[in-house]
Amino acid sequence: MAFRQGHDDDPYWKFFINTPPVDPANSVTELIRSAPEGNIFPTKAELHTPEITSGHVKEMARYLGADLVGVARLDAKDEQFPFAVVCAQRADYDPRTSPGVGGQVPVQNGLFTTFVLSAWIRELGFRATATANARAEQLAAAAGLGTLDAGGRLVTREFGTRVHVADVILTDLPLAPDG
Amino acid sequence: MTVPYLGRSVRIVGPVVNVDMNQSPHPKNQRGELGKALFNWYHNSVSKDPLTRVSAPNHFADRRNFIATVINQATTGKVNAKKVPVTDAAAMTRHIKAVARYMGADVVAIARAHPTFMYAGSRYVQDGTAEDAYEESTPEGLVRKFPYIIVATTAWDYDKLQAHRHFIGDAAYHVSQIKGHMILKALEGYIKELGYTALRGVVTPQAAAVASGVGELGRNGLIINKTYGARIHMPDPILTDLPLVSDEPVDIGVEDFCKICRKCAVNCPTNSITFGDKVAFNGVEKYKINWLTCYKLRPYVHDEWTSCLTCATVCPFTKPNTWWRSLAVWALHTCPIPARPLLVRALKAIDDRFWGVVSQKRVRWLDYDTGIKPGERACTVAGCTAAHEADGQSAKVVGDIGYYVPLKENTNRFVKRDG
Repeated sequence: MAFRQGHDDDPYWKFFINTPPVDPANSVTELIRSAPEGNIFPTKAELHTPEITSGHVKEMARYLGADLVGVARLDAKDEQFPFAVVCAQRADYDPRTSPGVGGQVPVQNGLFTTFVLSAWIRELGFRATATANARAEQLAAAAGLGTLDAGGRLVTREFGTRVHVADVILTDLPLAPDG
Repeated sequence: MTVPYLGRSVRIVGPVVNVDMNQSPHPKNQRGELGKALFNWYHNSVSKDPLTRVSAPNHFADRRNFIATVINQATTGKVNAKKVPVTDAAAMTRHIKAVARYMGADVVAIARAHPTFMYAGSRYVQDGTAEDAYEESTPEGLVRKFPYIIVATTAWDYDKLQAHRHFIGDAAYHVSQIKGHMILKALEGYIKELGYTALRGVVTPQAAAVASGVGELGRNGLIINKTYGARIHMPDPILTDLPLVSDEPVDIGVEDFCKICRKCAVNCPTNSITFGDKVAFNGVEKYKINWLTCYKLRPYVHDEWTSCLTCATVCPFTKPNTWWRSLAVWALHTCPIPARPLLVRALKAIDDRFWGVVSQKRVRWLDYDTGIKPGERACTVAGCTAAHEADGQSAKVVGDIGYYVPLKENTNRFVKRDG
């Protein structure tokens, strides 16, 4: 999909992209971030092979709105969460420098995807927790979403650096890692 | 005040009493007024489908896994004291529509508010809360202060919708619904950041939808849109004082089509859709569905699905967004009204020929498969070598037929069909 620019004749577009909300309660991103995590369903769902489960998780992520998704294996030491599911959203404006409601839309969409996807994995009966991760871009590269440039930023084949890596989902759902 | 023009599908013919949302199906059921089976279904049941538990608006294991609870129960933000000045309402209208689309809305339109569109009494947001400083205002007072309604909504996925009365169809409905909840919450917050008021739980979505030209009201009681047909949500719109320019009702031939077609009435598993003519109900001339028989089916099919969607799926307007669909809608729109019945009969014949008089398409998604008969189990995922203990002898799926419970002939026995 082409980048949607074409907002030059819109006198309010800059406000939408760049002006941070005065009241954080007007921002959906704050709202989803501060929500408590739900329980793990007491009965584990019957699963298919890890390769097929991976395919299903990725298809679900894309259905929920993720533009890119991959699975990375975490350090063998961490038995609680052997895998990370990494989703990324196309970002026309860099959310790090565009604090407006519009500039944060990729963050909002990423949070929607990771919230529902992690809740779904918990409802399948497995551990899953979606948190902002300092190593998100490294994990995204490990999950095969792209490569890191000299500054440590993720560069993807599809969107270049115009990409926002959403919260990383750590899980013990048996998956087949990419990359 | 003058009577608003709502297009050809709905007409205000008498005095309209504002609807109290506390007398609508879900609140009635929450209070136990619809009987034990429905009360129990609403409050005490847990869906066996993991995706339904995270995407559908009632019975769950844990509501914290359901994003709509998080969004609808959050405290609402304050209106920014520093107003962004609006000198050109048309430019602001283009902006707010671009914003809604940028956030992911599929359809967005503006209606001029009218007192008859307002709910009576307190605010209502399903599974949530909405309070504001204007709850004591009369409908007339609200409209004077907040003259515009923003209707923004999401469409359901066409391919998955074909598996209506199945968890796959539920996914099409519920996932776009929770997405819509988030978009509207974000849009509401953004309007407040612009320095204007945005009220929720005030406006009847259907009224705002016909007034703003989102679509026309069909025989099935659903808004039928020119791009998506009946496969759009009607979430709680935003009432605002942001200066905007309102849209007009549309004519896409729904009025002419519904007079002849009756496909939804034939397919409805509970016979809740009338075969007869429009009636005047509460001062509004429209097709009136029997919401109670529609609603009552739910506890009996709870193991197989949550949201029926049959009337939306079989509607000939509900098609993928392709050139031939646009052509058909364009033809209906441009055809002179007296000649439309002929065109409708032709289009209906094509629809029956290619999509079937009764829809029974087999649909597969993830490990869901409508080809597996209800009550049976099978793993039909290609290449799966995992051992599934619960798969019994019935793991045979042949052909291209999907099974959707309840079958129409099963319900004909216990729901009486009207004239």
